[in-house]
Amino acid sequence: MATTVADLAERQRRHELRELLQKQYKWIDYKWDLVFWVTAIFVVGGAADITKLLFAGDWDFWTDWKDPQWWPVITAFATIIIPSALQYIQWAAWRFPTGATYTAVCLFLVSWIGRYTQWHVAADYPMNFVYPMSCVGAAIILDWILMKTKSFVLTSLFGAPVWALLVWAFNYVPLAPYLQPTFYMDHVLTVADVQGIAYIRSQTPEYLRVIERGALRSFLGETQYVALAFGATVAIGGYWIGQFIGRYLAVWPIKRMMKSW
Amino acid sequence: MAHPARRHQVEDHELDSARSTRAHGPIDWLGGWKPLLYSCALLLIVNVALWTWNYVYMFTAGLNSASPEFTRYYRTLFWFELVSVGLFTGVWFGWLIRTGREVVKHPVTHEEEIRRIAVLWGLVGATSLTIAIMASFWPNWDGSWHQTMVRDTALTPTHIPMFYFWFPLAVTLSVGTYLYGRFRIPAVYGGDKGFPWSFFLLISAAVLEVLEVAFNEWGHSLWISEEFFAVKFHWPFVFYGWLAGGMFAVWGETILRLFDIHREEAEMSAGPRATTAIR
Repeated sequence: MATTVADLAERQRRHELRELLQKQYKWIDYKWDLVFWVTAIFVVGGAADITKLLFAGDWDFWTDWKDPQWWPVITAFATIIIPSALQYIQWAAWRFPTGATYTAVCLFLVSWIGRYTQWHVAADYPMNFVYPMSCVGAAIILDWILMKTKSFVLTSLFGAPVWALLVWAFNYVPLAPYLQPTFYMDHVLTVADVQGIAYIRSQTPEYLRVIERGALRSFLGETQYVALAFGATVAIGGYWIGQFIGRYLAVWPIKRMMKSW
Repeated sequence: MAHPARRHQVEDHELDSARSTRAHGPIDWLGGWKPLLYSCALLLIVNVALWTWNYVYMFTAGLNSASPEFTRYYRTLFWFELVSVGLFTGVWFGWLIRTGREVVKHPVTHEEEIRRIAVLWGLVGATSLTIAIMASFWPNWDGSWHQTMVRDTALTPTHIPMFYFWFPLAVTLSVGTYLYGRFRIPAVYGGDKGFPWSFFLLISAAVLEVLEVAFNEWGHSLWISEEFFAVKFHWPFVFYGWLAGGMFAVWGETILRLFDIHREEAEMSAGPRATTAIR
């Protein structure tokens, strides 16, 4: 079989890549990688948590706020922003389809530290009332979609709606026991409602509770699916906010200087 | 021009650094990475101390801002935090600028520049840890406290460590990290190159966070004293987390410098000026 020019070029390119891979650097070792990946946990976890806390935190703090209408919409929106930014950063820098998963794990760690030490130990709320949500499962799928499509546009169009669906689905499993009906003080309530009554909070007054509005528990549960569809839509918007952060606040500034200021 | 004695002192310091570098190597854990380990350990110790203070006194002294106990345990802490961060900032910035003006005049070897980049990464790591503490650890307690107790002051037990220690400390660390790079890594952050967008975003993030404290207190005093985390006047706190993306640009531009140093080292080894130190 004759060797073509294309074969030779390919062989040359592989040779160059192998050399690059085996190149020894005097002052670059594993410690730079270790320091980067470990110290980035804090800024990524902090950014992801503050975004979740102040856009959707009230729906994440308590089981009785995890309603079928608001919770799936704003949680999906708030939690996809920083994973999207990290997807861009890690894909642009290393072609790693791991940014969303990395962020979700960082968020998981800082959320549990905060929730356990501050809500459970310091303020004495039971963990089964204040446990944080997790988006690790949804993040793995989002990264898988980026890996397969190699496109941020397609990941936003397909991945973000899937994110909204999976964030709800994966977190519905631990929530389900608290949505079981119970008879309490002559009313049929959920177990989560009883938790909410037992633990009075400053956000308990009705004028602060934007939950339980309209026909949340009627219409044969169809409100849930309308909320999921809308949540999928706003998650696409959240994904592109994250892309803006990754592109223009993290990668674009590299080696760019303001000459006069 | 620095006083001769001062210059002598700075040169001594640089010699000390060089000796230390020889003893440990620029990228040994106890060489260039030492500031990362020590600063993060110190920050964690301070955070545990503040957490313990609050845990012990919040229910016994933190409920009524008009009480003498509150003044003794919380207003004192408030002033102690502001004074300690202010003093640390003044001393550290003063040291960075005074020594930096001398250091920047002298050529730096590649080995020393590598060590300084590791130190800069250590300072960035400390800033990153501070961000997690101020954007996740303390806001969680702020949430649990204010949804348990209705506030009667802007200086609540959770606000005092979060807003008046960690928030200003983030400004100090981000500006101080830039000053370190400005004088000690001139190939990346030298004054002749302009002001880096990376640090502009990172510093803006920390400054915005401090300014947002005022809006937060104004909003709570005007509209709602109860806690509802998703209120609109809380949202600028979120933008802080986004602007902190500038930290990735700091990592990116210093990684590129690491590769440039190796390229320059290879060129110098190959050329006749192999032993010449460059700036």
